[in-house]
Amino acid sequence: MSAITTTRRALREAAADARRSWTGAAWLTVAGAGLAALVPFVVPSSVRLDGLAETGYLAVAAVGLGFAVGIGGMPSIAQGAFVGVGAVCAAHLVGSGWPAPAAALVGAAAAAVGGIGVGIAVVRFRAVYVAAATWITTWLFALGLDAFPTVSGGSRGLVVPPRGSPTIHYELALALVAAAMLAHRTLARSSFGLTLQAAAQRPAAAAALGAETARLRLQAFAGAAAAGGLAGGVAVQLLGVADPSSYGPSLSFQLLVAVLVGGAATALGPVVGVLVFAGLSLAADLLGGITGSETGRFGPMLAALLLLAVLTLGGEGIVAAVSSRLRLDRRRSEVGAAESSLTGASLEARALVKRFGGLVALDAFELEIRPGRMLALIGPNGSGKTTALRLLAGTVRPDAGEVRLDETDVTAEPTAQRVRRGLVRTIQSNALFPALTALEHATVGASLRRRHGALRTVLATPKARREARAVRARALAALRVVGLEERADELPESLTGAEQRLLMVASALATGPRVLLLDEPSAGAAPQDLDRLAGVLRALREGGLAILVVEHNVRLVRAVADEVVVLDAGKRLATGTPDEVAANPAVRAAYFGRQAL
Amino acid sequence: MPLAAGCGGNDSGSVRALTIVVNAPFSKTPYIGETIARGVELGAAVTGPIDTKGGTIRLHVKRLDNALSPRQAIANVRRAVADGAVAIVDEGTGADASWRIADKAQIPLCVTYQGGIGLVDVERRPYVFRIAPTDRGIAFRLAEYVIPKRLRVAILTDDSAYGDEGRAALAKSFGSNPEAVAISLRLPANTPDLSPQVLRARRSGATALLVWAGPATIANVLTAARTRRWQVPVYTPPSGADPLVRQQLADQPRWVDGLTFASGRMTAELGPHAWRSFESLFESRYGPDVIGVKTSAGLDVVQPPEYAMYSYDFVSVLGAAIGQAGRKDRAALLAALNEVTVRGANGDERGFNLHNHEGVVDDDVYFARFDDMTFAPVQDDPLSSTLPVIKQTRE
Repeated sequence: MSAITTTRRALREAAADARRSWTGAAWLTVAGAGLAALVPFVVPSSVRLDGLAETGYLAVAAVGLGFAVGIGGMPSIAQGAFVGVGAVCAAHLVGSGWPAPAAALVGAAAAAVGGIGVGIAVVRFRAVYVAAATWITTWLFALGLDAFPTVSGGSRGLVVPPRGSPTIHYELALALVAAAMLAHRTLARSSFGLTLQAAAQRPAAAAALGAETARLRLQAFAGAAAAGGLAGGVAVQLLGVADPSSYGPSLSFQLLVAVLVGGAATALGPVVGVLVFAGLSLAADLLGGITGSETGRFGPMLAALLLLAVLTLGGEGIVAAVSSRLRLDRRRSEVGAAESSLTGASLEARALVKRFGGLVALDAFELEIRPGRMLALIGPNGSGKTTALRLLAGTVRPDAGEVRLDETDVTAEPTAQRVRRGLVRTIQSNALFPALTALEHATVGASLRRRHGALRTVLATPKARREARAVRARALAALRVVGLEERADELPESLTGAEQRLLMVASALATGPRVLLLDEPSAGAAPQDLDRLAGVLRALREGGLAILVVEHNVRLVRAVADEVVVLDAGKRLATGTPDEVAANPAVRAAYFGRQAL
Repeated sequence: MPLAAGCGGNDSGSVRALTIVVNAPFSKTPYIGETIARGVELGAAVTGPIDTKGGTIRLHVKRLDNALSPRQAIANVRRAVADGAVAIVDEGTGADASWRIADKAQIPLCVTYQGGIGLVDVERRPYVFRIAPTDRGIAFRLAEYVIPKRLRVAILTDDSAYGDEGRAALAKSFGSNPEAVAISLRLPANTPDLSPQVLRARRSGATALLVWAGPATIANVLTAARTRRWQVPVYTPPSGADPLVRQQLADQPRWVDGLTFASGRMTAELGPHAWRSFESLFESRYGPDVIGVKTSAGLDVVQPPEYAMYSYDFVSVLGAAIGQAGRKDRAALLAALNEVTVRGANGDERGFNLHNHEGVVDDDVYFARFDDMTFAPVQDDPLSSTLPVIKQTRE
């Protein structure tokens, strides 16, 4: 097939995809952007286009930050520093004769490098420590600018010959805001974004599905920094000076507040937040004019009051509050489910030992599961069942022994790598992602096998779009296997307890497992739901998977298990069929008393 | 571009209002900001209605705070342009960048405080003027005054824009006599304890301190030196006369004694009468500027309106230029500014021309020394010894 034919086909597919996902809101957005582009030509000369352009550049930085905060779960208070990196870099380059666009892009790249440097440290932190670490970073940056006046220009700043008229900057700012919002929206709804959101909401559950959280968060953090650097790099060419005092903690804090006020979870939220701040400046000027006071005192006061109001009302921001009132629903793309195909693998534990201090949680633990077989691991509370699962899944390292998957020693491999090999675990507690629909849950699992990263996703290349369709098809197939295909667009809070457990199974299934480790799948299920659950498990076994089930529910164990292993105080007490184990006197004494199995 | 097109405001009959914007650090250095603004307002009031061929014009004053931020200063100039200002009186922060905006809008921008080298350039920046002592002039006179005393000077400058400009100027003025400089140090502007830096200066063998910095830093240097009983002479540029120095050292007035500063002369060669008239006019409108410290005799110390004089004089020149240019275009106003001459507040002639946009001659720098919270011209300088003492107390 010639290149032209390939390109034509790709363009037709892209147009078809665009038509499928075009909504009324999209028309509104395009109309709004079109009207906004006409502003310089219709407003009176008293309207300061340079001020509007500067607000637009701030919005670009805010949208980038919004992605890190709302999607990545990283409340960064260093975005002002990255804006400063871009501005100072671009100012030096423009002063050396570089073309304006190149200088801005290099500024963005420099900020991205800075973001990677800071991100390597902070992406593994919990949210509160991300905030603290980035706050320190922004202070260090401000102090660094003070300490190195040859870099920052000192108190005078770096003077930059202005490039471009206010009208050009206004249109450029508008275009960059639109591009940033589009990128935010595209990424947030992609498997990249969904996995990030899952990791932010339930880190352990996301890790269990193979999400390489640190790597994804680093990409998000660096991307946000790049957006800030780009904003700084173009803004400095409008302002005419890179003023070090402008890139301090105050700007970082303002940007974070703007994101929170507008709403961190959507692309529009940060833009609304910045516009609200611009409105507050006008209000502060008005108040200052009325009272004869310094307007600078009213701005922070009004901003703080607004932030308190937003936090009091739930903290989701203006856009989310308006959206929920207007009941703006998610739209599901029309993709059919893929055919589900399962293959199994053998899993073997050899002499596994795990100690926690002086306590031996597991001692010389052995088991073997074959494809198409289901093994139940039972025992009293504290017998070591969950420890065994965690050792098999790679969440903790054993003190001795081996874990082999299809004869391959995976003992030293981390969880993500084992998941890629097909060894997947569901965790004990209800670890669903509260803000993701059932389909999005399964998409997180199905994303494990994606090959194309954030950049291709943003650019919506044909391969990235094909892969996205394939991921959603696999996700739907997993929902179909557990009987939740019709509930694809619902949030977990709308599902019953049993359905929620099935959803966890579906998420694990979507990863394409060969061995499933299920931790108490019947927890929270009503008796009438056990048959449904048992039917799903049997179907998976008959499909060829090897399944290990940790359970307390005797009825379920009898219904589905081919073999039962009993643990007591970290040691294997008995092995056999459910009937053999039930008849074992030692098992009865240690676990059941006189209760029949 | 028509001069009166962006006038806005009042338009009663044939009287139009033209706005002069004052771009100064009202929040960060209130004394400087207020002094400049009051000079402009007084100048506008004294100038009164200006009769032109196209009608009568009144000058209106608007204040914008730059908070010592170049970015804010530039934003203020943009705002002034958008508001159709007829002129901008600027403290000087950010002028290296904001001049382009004023230039493009053909709005005269007059600096009345900062004296940095390069700020004024008739060829490249035709719309930038200055009525204030230049750093070059101050630095040259300081070198001229200090070097013959065979002192070894520790040059201490802070990291503000004012300090950085001063550092550059002093490097040139002392460049021919490097042996006169014991050490050159850069001080952090907002640090209260400068003991390490002052100690370092002392250990360098310095026998005098030349502190080119903001008033707070000057006060902190004096504190660091005097608490360690180092009675070294201290020389400063005009910022040494800022009331903040004396306010911070109000409980140790003897530490201020001997502080010597260089500044533009307040009185003219013709005598002090014009200055005293201006001072009376200023105080009749704003009252005496009581700075909050007292002499040993319990008298309130008053600050003479020195920097108000410069901004007042620019408004006088501007008024004369508007009267000459009429309501024609801004190019005509620029031409008029390069032609008119007025009698300044202290009696000196003020004006500009096509080759010079500096309103204060470098030679007109004198030295004054503090004693008992007031200052008087020194007697060991040829120019300073001829100048009268300006009364700075009120009962």
